[in-house]
Amino acid sequence: MSRLGWFGIGVCFALTTLGLGQGVATRNSPAAPRQAPSGKPFGAKFEDVGKVAGLNLPVTVGNPLSKKYIIEANGTGLAAIDYDLDGWMDLFVVNGSRLEGFGAGAAPTNHLYRNNGKGGFVDVTKATGVAHSGWGNGVCSGDVDNDGDDDLYVTYWGSNLLLVNSGKGAFSEEAARRGVAGTGKQWSSGCTFLDYNRDGRLDLFVTRYQEFDLAKTPPPGKASNCEWKGMPVFCGPRGLPFGSASLYRQEADGKFVDVTEASGVGAVQGFYAFTPIAADLNGDGWTDIYFASDSTPSVLLRNEKNGKFRDIATETGVAFNEHGFEQGGMGVGVGDYNRDGLLDLVKTNFAGDHPNLYRNTGGGIFEDAVLMAGLGVNPHFVGWGVAFVDLDNDGWQDIFQVNGHVYPELDAVGKAGEAYRQPRVVYRNLGDGRFEDVSGLAGLGVAAKHSSRGAAFADFDNDGDIDVAVMNMGEAPTLLKNGLAAGSRWVKVVLEGTRSNRSAIGALVTVETGDLKQTLPVLGQSSFLSQSERRLHFGLGGAAKVDRVLVRWPSGEKETFGGGVAGSTLVLKEGAGRP
Amino acid sequence: MTVLMLVVALLGQSPAETLSSQAVEAIQRGDSAQAGELWRQALEKDSRHFASLFNLGMMLHRGGNFAAAVEYLDRAAAAEPGYQVQVLRGSNFQKLERLEDAIRAWRAALALQPRNVKLMQVLSVEYSRGRYFQEAAAVAQRALLAAPQESNLYFMAIKAYQDAGDQDAAAGLASQAAVRFPESARAQFEHGYYLQKRGKTQESLRYLRRAMELDPKYEEPSFFYGDLMVKASKWKEGVEALRQSLAIRPEYSPARVSLARGLYGLGEVVAAIAELEMAAKLDPKNAQPWVLLSQYYFRQGDEERAQIAKETSLRLRRENPTVLEASQARPFPAK
Repeated sequence: MSRLGWFGIGVCFALTTLGLGQGVATRNSPAAPRQAPSGKPFGAKFEDVGKVAGLNLPVTVGNPLSKKYIIEANGTGLAAIDYDLDGWMDLFVVNGSRLEGFGAGAAPTNHLYRNNGKGGFVDVTKATGVAHSGWGNGVCSGDVDNDGDDDLYVTYWGSNLLLVNSGKGAFSEEAARRGVAGTGKQWSSGCTFLDYNRDGRLDLFVTRYQEFDLAKTPPPGKASNCEWKGMPVFCGPRGLPFGSASLYRQEADGKFVDVTEASGVGAVQGFYAFTPIAADLNGDGWTDIYFASDSTPSVLLRNEKNGKFRDIATETGVAFNEHGFEQGGMGVGVGDYNRDGLLDLVKTNFAGDHPNLYRNTGGGIFEDAVLMAGLGVNPHFVGWGVAFVDLDNDGWQDIFQVNGHVYPELDAVGKAGEAYRQPRVVYRNLGDGRFEDVSGLAGLGVAAKHSSRGAAFADFDNDGDIDVAVMNMGEAPTLLKNGLAAGSRWVKVVLEGTRSNRSAIGALVTVETGDLKQTLPVLGQSSFLSQSERRLHFGLGGAAKVDRVLVRWPSGEKETFGGGVAGSTLVLKEGAGRP
Repeated sequence: MTVLMLVVALLGQSPAETLSSQAVEAIQRGDSAQAGELWRQALEKDSRHFASLFNLGMMLHRGGNFAAAVEYLDRAAAAEPGYQVQVLRGSNFQKLERLEDAIRAWRAALALQPRNVKLMQVLSVEYSRGRYFQEAAAVAQRALLAAPQESNLYFMAIKAYQDAGDQDAAAGLASQAAVRFPESARAQFEHGYYLQKRGKTQESLRYLRRAMELDPKYEEPSFFYGDLMVKASKWKEGVEALRQSLAIRPEYSPARVSLARGLYGLGEVVAAIAELEMAAKLDPKNAQPWVLLSQYYFRQGDEERAQIAKETSLRLRRENPTVLEASQARPFPAK
């Protein structure tokens, strides 16, 4: 007998007592296969004309090389508004800050650029009274006082701003006086104006990403949620306190009352909220609210028509992806990509996941059609600003998405396939429920790599196609001029509410051309923490005119207006159409 | 004669070895108390006596006294750092849920027997348990290189690469395995699985069908085949395959959820809801059946039940955050 009589037994025992079951698989969605190219030409070519146009000032959001806290990673939005009512879309850019602060007078401010109508922008920040500093995040606009011009609301890690437009080229800050400044300690992210109670005055909905306290947030790599693929990075959002949302009702005196609890909005909890959109998603004539949430279920607040809201995102299929997974929701676009008259949603998400294409099947029930639609081909991007927008005026709403990772450290470690700066993507609508990635056909401005966040969509040069202003982390904004050749056909629709809020936020417009119908909503915030122009743009394909326009106003009224020829802007005033 | 030989042998032994030999005889008689006492006496004579340290550690380990075993096994390893003591130390650390110490011990054992495929398997599994996915994949690949004829090593390496997030490597191995083991249902399935993950539906279906033919008692191919059919709105074929999968593994929640989708597609709403309720019962930690129940109740106009189902799903999600992260929730073969 061996002196170690148990060796054989022992080794056998040691090996057989180990289970061979392995850990949980991680979700790492691969790119879906690309369809064969359609071969159709794509006329929209984008070129960055930002510098030439005068958009030279960088946006500051924390340390550009390394993000210590999540507050440094999320970036800001921008707004396309015509603040001086000269018919040219101006650009408001939200600025952030950095943890170590700035010397006296050196802190970056938000910027308002006036469009001079000649391809250039003039910085009118100081002259218009909007040179505010702080850790800015999102922006939304609406005619808060129904006086015919656009006002702005800007969210902060700190007190929010309500910039009321005098109509004479200047703004006054009235958030505290009107009751919408917040506590001054919150991290507000998104906002949208809406008229949820149909009283004709704009109310305000504000999202907060999380309850953020620098002193209580662990530094990179110091907790379980502070790593990304083995690399120590800033912590969160998981593991950090959830955010919240607030609803403010505007009273007759222009002040706002916090109705968060009374409306039921406060009952919805457990999310890291980003971009909200306000639109009638279930077709009942009342404005609902949907917001994208990061790493938590997204929320759809159905307007109960009695001053209250109820979250029905899970029930209606827009809280998760089709498998019930929480996603890193960032931006939201609203449109009608399949021209069935129902509002669909597109939502951007974090890397390693697909976006969502929530197809409205009627009655506000949605199905995620992202894979069937061919939008699962770029899961390696972290998506932010996004919109349904007809880029080539063929009468079908395409999708434009801007991207950028949250960890600048990725560039240093050189992880394969992942980079902080990422190109934009353009998906052309093929008209049969599918999209194709035509980024490679869409010009150098699309291929350029930045770490982008907000995106505002507008026809900045009034040439009949949609351009895109993009916020880039640590850089000046990009202005992507759409070089669609002259001759394509389009109409624009501008609404003016009378019984409804004057901005007509919450309205739904359907343009009929022969047998074809296109539908778009009038939105407050969308994309990512941004405000796109509220002039609605419809490509007409080969049609020379629009036969008629149907408007469902936020007041609940429905009206029909006569059409117009291609290349015209139809200004439709509530009450002037046929019931 | 025999007694004489034993005396001669004993005369040649050290006191510690003599006591240790007596302890082995005692353990063979089933007298573990006596054996333990003798080994301890041996260690009083020679505190570095390897056989006594190892066997005493082994006895404590087998008796479930893992904490006490550590000391003797550590001392044994210090006295003679051999393969077997490192393997046993690893096993003992694993029982104490000291995963990193276990991995260190097994790694030391593997350094002594660098072609020990069985140990590589153990290490790969334990690396994965510790979420050291890259290391798990590397050691699995090493095992595969050492014994490429073993299909199980392919499957382990595929899983390891999947866990490590290297889908390309996993898919590549699955493709190789399908060629190398044409009669293996698992190999055909793994290839089909990665093809469907890449959206290559038609190619995938071929391999899934082959796997179903090779082993009708294997539930995963039927699930994925049925799921693809449901996603393609081929409700009847989907329902049939999913029922086949569930007949083998009734608690396979994702299959039941997919079956519910298929039934809903066929307009059999009541049956769809019944399947979801069954899934919720059989897999009570999984939020997914409740998510879909919430949607189906809502579409039926029953908003109250829809809300209850939603709240249940949210509660389960909070309580069991990892359950839903098992994408497509593969149970992996039980056999």
